[in-house]
Amino acid sequence: MAKKRSSSPKTERVDGVLRSIIPFTDLSLRTLTVDRDPNGIVVVSFDVPDRSLNVLTREVLEELAYVLDHIQNTAPPTGLVLVSARAGSFFAGADLQAIDQLFSQPEERIRLACDSGRALFARLSTQPWPSVSVIEGLCLGGGLELALACDLRIAIDSPNTSLGLPEVKLGLLPGWGGTVRLPRLVGLSSAVEMIAGGESVSPQKAFRMGLIDEVVSSELALAAAKNLIAEQLGNRQWLQRRKKLAEPINIDPVEVSFLEATAGAVIGARAKGRYPAPPRILATLLEASQHDAALASSLESDAFFELAHNPVTARLIGVFHLGQRNARDPGIPRADLKPLLIESVGVVGAGIMGCGIAASHIRHDFSVSIVDVSELSLSKAIPPLLEEAAWDRESRAALPSRALELAGRLRSSTMLSSLRGSQLIIESVVERSDIKQAVLGELESMIGPETILATNTSTNPIEKLARCLSYPERFLGMHFFNPVRRMTLVEIIRGPSTSDQTIVTVVAHAKRLGKCPIVVRDSPGFLVNRVLMPYLHEAVEMVREGVDVARIDRLSRRFGMPMGPLELYDMIGLDTAFYAGVVLSTAFGERIESSPVIPAMVRSGRLGRKSSAGFYQYSPKGKMLKPDQTIYELIEPYQLRTGEWSDDQITDRLFLPIVQEAALVLDEQIVREACDIDLAVIHGLGFPAFRGGLLAWADSLGASDILMRLKQFESLGSRMRPAPRLLDMARRGGSFYASMSKGPQ
Amino acid sequence: MHKNPVIVSCCRTAIGRSHPQRGYYRNVRGDELSHAVIAAVVTKSGIDPAHIEDVVLGTTQQQGELGGNVARVSALCAGLPLSVAGTTVNRLCGSSLQALSQACHSIAAGAEDVQIVAGVEHMHHLPMEKDIDLHPRLFERTSRAAISMGMTAEYLAASLGISREEQESYAFQSHHKACQAVDSGAFEDEIIPHRAHDEGGMPILVVRDQSVRADASLLAMSQLDPAFLPRLGTVTAATSAPLSDGAAAMMVMSTETAEKYSLQPLVRVLATAVVGVPPALMGTGPVAAVQKLLFRAGVSLDRIDLIEINEAFAAQSIACIRQLQVDPSRVNVHGGSLAIGHPLGASGARICTTLVHAMHARKAKLGVATMCIGLGQGIAVLLERIEL
Repeated sequence: MAKKRSSSPKTERVDGVLRSIIPFTDLSLRTLTVDRDPNGIVVVSFDVPDRSLNVLTREVLEELAYVLDHIQNTAPPTGLVLVSARAGSFFAGADLQAIDQLFSQPEERIRLACDSGRALFARLSTQPWPSVSVIEGLCLGGGLELALACDLRIAIDSPNTSLGLPEVKLGLLPGWGGTVRLPRLVGLSSAVEMIAGGESVSPQKAFRMGLIDEVVSSELALAAAKNLIAEQLGNRQWLQRRKKLAEPINIDPVEVSFLEATAGAVIGARAKGRYPAPPRILATLLEASQHDAALASSLESDAFFELAHNPVTARLIGVFHLGQRNARDPGIPRADLKPLLIESVGVVGAGIMGCGIAASHIRHDFSVSIVDVSELSLSKAIPPLLEEAAWDRESRAALPSRALELAGRLRSSTMLSSLRGSQLIIESVVERSDIKQAVLGELESMIGPETILATNTSTNPIEKLARCLSYPERFLGMHFFNPVRRMTLVEIIRGPSTSDQTIVTVVAHAKRLGKCPIVVRDSPGFLVNRVLMPYLHEAVEMVREGVDVARIDRLSRRFGMPMGPLELYDMIGLDTAFYAGVVLSTAFGERIESSPVIPAMVRSGRLGRKSSAGFYQYSPKGKMLKPDQTIYELIEPYQLRTGEWSDDQITDRLFLPIVQEAALVLDEQIVREACDIDLAVIHGLGFPAFRGGLLAWADSLGASDILMRLKQFESLGSRMRPAPRLLDMARRGGSFYASMSKGPQ
Repeated sequence: MHKNPVIVSCCRTAIGRSHPQRGYYRNVRGDELSHAVIAAVVTKSGIDPAHIEDVVLGTTQQQGELGGNVARVSALCAGLPLSVAGTTVNRLCGSSLQALSQACHSIAAGAEDVQIVAGVEHMHHLPMEKDIDLHPRLFERTSRAAISMGMTAEYLAASLGISREEQESYAFQSHHKACQAVDSGAFEDEIIPHRAHDEGGMPILVVRDQSVRADASLLAMSQLDPAFLPRLGTVTAATSAPLSDGAAAMMVMSTETAEKYSLQPLVRVLATAVVGVPPALMGTGPVAAVQKLLFRAGVSLDRIDLIEINEAFAAQSIACIRQLQVDPSRVNVHGGSLAIGHPLGASGARICTTLVHAMHARKAKLGVATMCIGLGQGIAVLLERIEL
């Protein structure tokens, strides 16, 4: 199937009849080639030029329409096979650039775009011959809708093949018949799960669901497709299936009501009223289930239009573009440097972070050597490490066979010298600069000149650690977040001597781990912990003023954060937070004095979750109970007096200081652009995507509004004094994003 | 029915919690429980084992220690003659009520006559979801959530307006009635002692159901988190039947055969019924099953003195009581599965055993045992007490 695209269609493989009707050589079809076998089966192979993956551009749709016209009007085939000639993607989805442009259009244009795509796909399912799509690689969004429009689907058995309708992640729903065909094919319940959840499925799962008809090896795929067509022409089952797909869904009304109640509860709890798409998808699917396909299609169209105009959708798409941009960004503006390909990785330290980093690597097919001073730590760490690496999302369990397979990629030793052959060594020992320096120094003495040394640290300045190294240009920080399996952010910390080549290599490497790397200049707290600091600090200040702990956290969650600042303190551990706070207040003490509350809590043994007491009480099993009222006694000596704060004011006090700090971060060129901060807070802090990111949110308020809001907190001290950049933006009518370059395209 | 089936004797084990550290039967194989009840029911009946023709045993997880046709294994291990056959049946939660029903059908049809009906489940050793791989096409007819029995209970609670308080009060009553039954010795006749381990690990003979709580408290119940639907749900661990291990057995035969061997029957089995309902409404299976049963027997509900509704969930039981419009004082007079436990495949024989004893204790004339069944079924059996 991995047929390479040739510059001109293969005329020699086109039989005489067809050549006379479609003069392929003259036609300049750019995105597809057409082939016809002696049995009259036409094979359309897609290969979209100028794109890294096949996407459904307008050109593809036009050329497909053209082909359908011609084969029907001239020499009707016995069957049609749609296949990608591009390895790795059947179709990765619709063309998002086109969708973006569409949103600014009036309603008729949006409806037209939806309807014309849907009409084209509908033509496939009304032709007087059966069609089969052969799916390898990504089959997402519009790509799966195209496949669904065929009578049958074959998927190629490959780990690269995945099928899904991820539109919900962009705040949309499938607009080309996906919501109509999928539930009629696999059942309403499975369709709700797949469309409202947005997760992709493997070919095996798709087969079990009934989404695809066969899973075969790639060598057999085309022949299997043709066999299926022959079989269907014989038994005419494709016509029965078409009938089923055109009718209302046959399901007991009680079951529909049950699905509405149960799925509604799950979706409601997940979307929390912030994400309009999932509940709208459920409502659309349920209503449409009672109608025939034609009416169901128009309900889909209504819902698509409604969601397309929701501001949350635009923000989610904005966040998606940030991710795309990050994927293309080499980390520094130097197109001339090519990243070196890292294949073997060493990890020093078998603690939680070291193991998470090692597991993430072997899961992504890297060979990893892990070193720890203690044989015992290693022997205890490796089973859970392999379990994490072999975790299977679909079965929600570690696959023993996969763990055994991955075990072959993992070596462990108590000798640093065993890392000699690694191309990248990530030191992840305890957060003490003297120990880190000793380990790094020893490592440097035994490795080759090409080896990159990285330290996983959240608090140690790279510059300081680099002092002990003879070759600091190949040294940098890689700050992973806990748990590594779930947290996609990696801060790539550039020391004063780190070379550009080292940065581009490590940025590219982090992407191969499926991470979102953000290059950060070496400075206290780097990026995420630094912008987090004022948020945490402000929360504690409010507690000192007598604001209820649970109220602060509740308002933070209401804003969209996954947990409130005081819950977060407890999770991080008050002692850890205290230590990180010292680093930051040493650096930025003139703006933010360190709060006396945290050290007092640490002294009294309240370390958060790990000691079952912090701002909250915890059960012995770690379940959060209620706020610990005794902390108010503890902080009594540090009480502050202020007036009453409204919910909005509390929310502003939590989040505006982050914006302030981010403005300074940009001024100090800790990162290059606003979008780096937004990606970092979304991936590293769980900042709500429906707000588009921290600075996108700030831009949505506008600098003048932010200044007005800050003014009410003037009395709180210098930390609420507007950042120079905000003042400037307010004066010029600028925004964080307006000052951003177009960036790498 | 041509020949009239009767139950001559019945017994059960104490029901244990399926708890890996504290469950009574954590170190006891499930099939040992079924051997024990089968051997005991033979002794209790006084029949010559040579007359027994078949063992019909219900269990839902027919694998591992309960695999390989555990009915035959149990018959052999219980020391029954080699001539005694054995078959294992599955109607999920209704399995051993199904075993009773089909044994009675066989008697009525003039086929196998003297039979042991039994049920066993060990939900600690063989959890109910172990190795279950339902066909995804099933979800064209229902939802994945309908496979979660707890979600079906939530749905009943929400759609019928059954409050959390009402459910808790019902569960509390179930414990209260079970405690009274324990204290008054009502279970002494039906429970056979079995070797087990107490919570500290001491080997003991257990005669008391492990989940029945003398200290059940509405306040403690009100503080539990929802078990199936975080935050929004009303169904908790206290208002769901506990996961349980246990077994129960009954000796059945025709009236004629009992007379022939001079055995004293306890109850006649007058009618049986099974029915399908929407999977989402699986909890209301007993409503349709009882209506069908009573229609079939030509008996009206007001003539039923005692009714055992298997308590999978408080919400589900309340829904059945409401929809059947049955007098709650006649329902589960010795407490229900919320307190006693619900070892799936054993529960049908367990509630029948308890019902038979309650009917004799209260001189009830007619009794019904009924159960809800996952994926939407109901089963019911009508019993008539025989004067001793």
